[in-house]
Amino acid sequence: MSEYEIIDHEHDVVVVGAGGAGLRATLGMVSGGLKTACITKVFPTRSHTVAAQGGIGAALNNMGENDSWQFHMYDTVKGSDWLGDQDAIEYMCKEAIPSVTELENFGVPFSRTEEGEVYQRPFGGHTLDYGKKMARRACAAADRTGHAILHTLYQQCLKHKAEFFVEYIALDLLMDDNGKCVGVLALCMDDGKIHRFRGHQTVLATGGYGRVYFSCTSAHTCTGDGNAMVLRAGLPLQDMEFVQFHPTGVYGAGVLITEGSRGEGGYLTNSEGERFMERYAPTAKDLASRDVVSRSMTIEINEGRGVGPNKDHIFMHLEHIDPATLHMRLPGISETAKIFCGVDVTKEPIPVLPTVHYNMGGIPTNYNGEVVTRKGNDQNAVVSGLMAIGEAACVSVHGANRLGTNSLLDIVVFGRAAAQRALKIVEKGASHAPLSKHVTDKILARLDKMRYAKGDVSVGEIRNSMQNAMQKHAAVFRSNSSMNEGVKKVDKIANSLDGVGIKDRSLIFNTDLVEALELENLMQQAIVTIKSADQRKESRGAHSHEDYPDRDDKDWMKHTIMWLNEKNKTKIDYRDVHLNTLTNEVASIPPAARVY
Amino acid sequence: MNSNIDEKFIKVEDMKTLKTHGVGHWKLQRISAIAMIPLVIWFTTSLMLTLMDGYEQSIEWLQSPFNATGLILLFGTLYFHAASGLQVVIEDYVHHEGLKIVSLILIKLIATVLGVLSILCVLKIFL
Amino acid sequence: MAEFALPKHSKIVKGIDYPLQSESENPKKVNVYRWSPDDDENPRIDSYTIDLDDCGPMVLDALIKIKQEVDSSLTFRRSCREGICGSCSMNIDGTNTLACLKSIEDIKGDINIYPLPHMDVVKDLVPDLTKAYAQLTSVKPWLQSDSRPEEGKSRKQSPEQREKIDGLWECVLCFSCTTSCPSYWWNGDKYLGPAVLLQAYRWIADSRDENTEERLNDLEDTFKLYRCHTIMNCTKTCPKGLNPAKAIGEIKKLQLERK
Repeated sequence: MSEYEIIDHEHDVVVVGAGGAGLRATLGMVSGGLKTACITKVFPTRSHTVAAQGGIGAALNNMGENDSWQFHMYDTVKGSDWLGDQDAIEYMCKEAIPSVTELENFGVPFSRTEEGEVYQRPFGGHTLDYGKKMARRACAAADRTGHAILHTLYQQCLKHKAEFFVEYIALDLLMDDNGKCVGVLALCMDDGKIHRFRGHQTVLATGGYGRVYFSCTSAHTCTGDGNAMVLRAGLPLQDMEFVQFHPTGVYGAGVLITEGSRGEGGYLTNSEGERFMERYAPTAKDLASRDVVSRSMTIEINEGRGVGPNKDHIFMHLEHIDPATLHMRLPGISETAKIFCGVDVTKEPIPVLPTVHYNMGGIPTNYNGEVVTRKGNDQNAVVSGLMAIGEAACVSVHGANRLGTNSLLDIVVFGRAAAQRALKIVEKGASHAPLSKHVTDKILARLDKMRYAKGDVSVGEIRNSMQNAMQKHAAVFRSNSSMNEGVKKVDKIANSLDGVGIKDRSLIFNTDLVEALELENLMQQAIVTIKSADQRKESRGAHSHEDYPDRDDKDWMKHTIMWLNEKNKTKIDYRDVHLNTLTNEVASIPPAARVY
Repeated sequence: MNSNIDEKFIKVEDMKTLKTHGVGHWKLQRISAIAMIPLVIWFTTSLMLTLMDGYEQSIEWLQSPFNATGLILLFGTLYFHAASGLQVVIEDYVHHEGLKIVSLILIKLIATVLGVLSILCVLKIFL
Repeated sequence: MAEFALPKHSKIVKGIDYPLQSESENPKKVNVYRWSPDDDENPRIDSYTIDLDDCGPMVLDALIKIKQEVDSSLTFRRSCREGICGSCSMNIDGTNTLACLKSIEDIKGDINIYPLPHMDVVKDLVPDLTKAYAQLTSVKPWLQSDSRPEEGKSRKQSPEQREKIDGLWECVLCFSCTTSCPSYWWNGDKYLGPAVLLQAYRWIADSRDENTEERLNDLEDTFKLYRCHTIMNCTKTCPKGLNPAKAIGEIKKLQLERK
């Protein structure tokens, strides 16, 4: 093995990832006096939070509709198709109000109402009085809310002089012999040196893994590195079968058109010019939950009512909206439509298609952000020293389907919660126990193997086959036969990774190597995703099983957890869904049929 | 990248010591430019109407107090504007500190000398 | 003063030519600046001919295609591919822009791609932006306010006040503008550059920020602010259609008004 120069760092807390969740956690920790390192593979404002458009959900009630966090909680539980943990959902919806107000106080440039309050718009699945009518709950900064929030959080971190390690790719968690996480090993892309970060808590805020699919709204960097590190640390991932398809990705390019555009009055039509959502969701119509709209669109296309020469997409209309409103409320998507499909939204409809958008599944945690696993009968065993937040985590507040605007909410609420928890449990400046050499060596051996990989298949080729297999076999609609085939395919493609070859041997900004490491991460998650999907014999939220079209609360109201060993063999188990609430301020919401 | 940021950040912070003149210089440069507009128009008009007619006519022209005042104002503004403009060019392109200071002093000196000389010439004819 | 010997690695040589492997009705040549710090060689221009019929519409799609299919060692930053993260800023066809927003169709002839001008190059198309980030930090780009909003309440801001920061906060920090500014080329160590000044003005213009006076004091400097000679390259090149030159003009106006 090559000799690598290792640089050691000791911190109270190490945060991996500088998206919204990572930055919110870092901010809370640094301002609370914890020595915190924030490691990130891209400069913080380039993280994918920046691309979030529509808004952040919080029942601020600025639009005078008597909105309340209890309604928000109901919508979230219903949206999750009763797979979300109700204690965590209660926590999130209640904490949403102070968390979003805090964001405003930090300086987020929210759009405003005439009264000077934060502007709120309607969004998919947001209702008043338990589903009776649509609510205006999504706090928005035009259609660039994620950009506004991410930049503001970075600015606040600068204010508090947070310590960033930019363009460092995390390789693996440092797990000691007792299964405790004691830090993370990272490669500095700038100079190729290895950095060993020791922390009493390691917080994974590494985002989703949308790039296992061919067509997704996710950035190229959304490779779920934290999820894969957790798998390699011998811990399970939860609910990985639930992958959200956003109804309105631009046909072809896959870039996102916010649900907020339907919130502002946009609607979908098929080849007959029919507003078909009225048939599928009489009350919410175009603002039904994302899984519902994506399925309806797919059915329309499958039944021959798609638009375009190949009848393979759907139109979204904004041209009836006043151009001044479009300019004020949706400037970004007007620009996106122009650039990526040459459409002037004031005149023509946008061609759209359901596109992979979000991973409900991830690293199982409790509502404090602490990673949990199942040990025998203990379903909530906390993994010492490890936290996970944001899209990487599965708290689970999104269950089988995430409600629009709850992702930005998830990152700030649980980023904040993780910081509060760390401040409570981490002793500032405590010393770090020595770490045996083999822990680092094992990780470096993996890096070394990839760095000198001499196979004849390129990273791009393998990635393409993986993405295509996932796109085909773990799509909006799934079936036994298709998923069986998918499992076999993905297994085979995973094996082909042994034959991968890297051209760039340099250690300086070696993106060839980084992409190979990311591909390995993606591959492990692809296996877990398709196998989790294959075993769930029901339809729930984003998992629509053609052979089992109904939800089965008796047998399947449970979280899937899946481990993956070094030979890519999986092990499966389950955790109960928390139907209990956190406090008695709200009653548990019993399962019911989901009608919008 | 981390350690570099600290290092370069200090450098950026140090920039405060460079605060010498900002808005003042910028303002005077623009005021002198604006002042030169009527002066130059007046001077070119005179040049075409009288000064092209010959030596005697020019001397006579200059002996008017109105014309002499105008010309003195024009020379003053012109050299001031030229010096402050050249100063910006030197600050832009000369990065060697010593050379920069020497050039700036030289420019101011030359502008002052030329300015005083021009004004004296005008006065000599006027008186 | 003028240096008569060019610094090391200034001379660009012709690099490797990668012809198209198959027949194509729609070939396009992409010339890319390549330089790696590992060997002591001069930078080179590698030429890749690609089939546009099998490539996405944007320049970033072409770069990804080349990296994926021809030469995986080609190095550039990219992330969101929709013009919001600001990673893929580079000089394409003579203009600084985001590769993900630059349509191939708009380029006549070969596509020439260089890193952002006048920045240190880390490798190929990856510039070192450390200094620009440090300059951003130096203008204290965060909300400064002594008065606290009522506990648990938002600050109020009317739609008219909020409108004043439109066109400012949307900056994606790609630094296309800063690196297109000749003033920044010559005095990048002392002049803040358009992107950072735009951010400085974003906070001056925000009705919630109460530190305008100190912010203006900090900028009252012949180099930090007044190296802007209104060349307007910044506004012309901004891939997001923002107007940094106007923001700088507003700062100068405020400086004038308070003196």
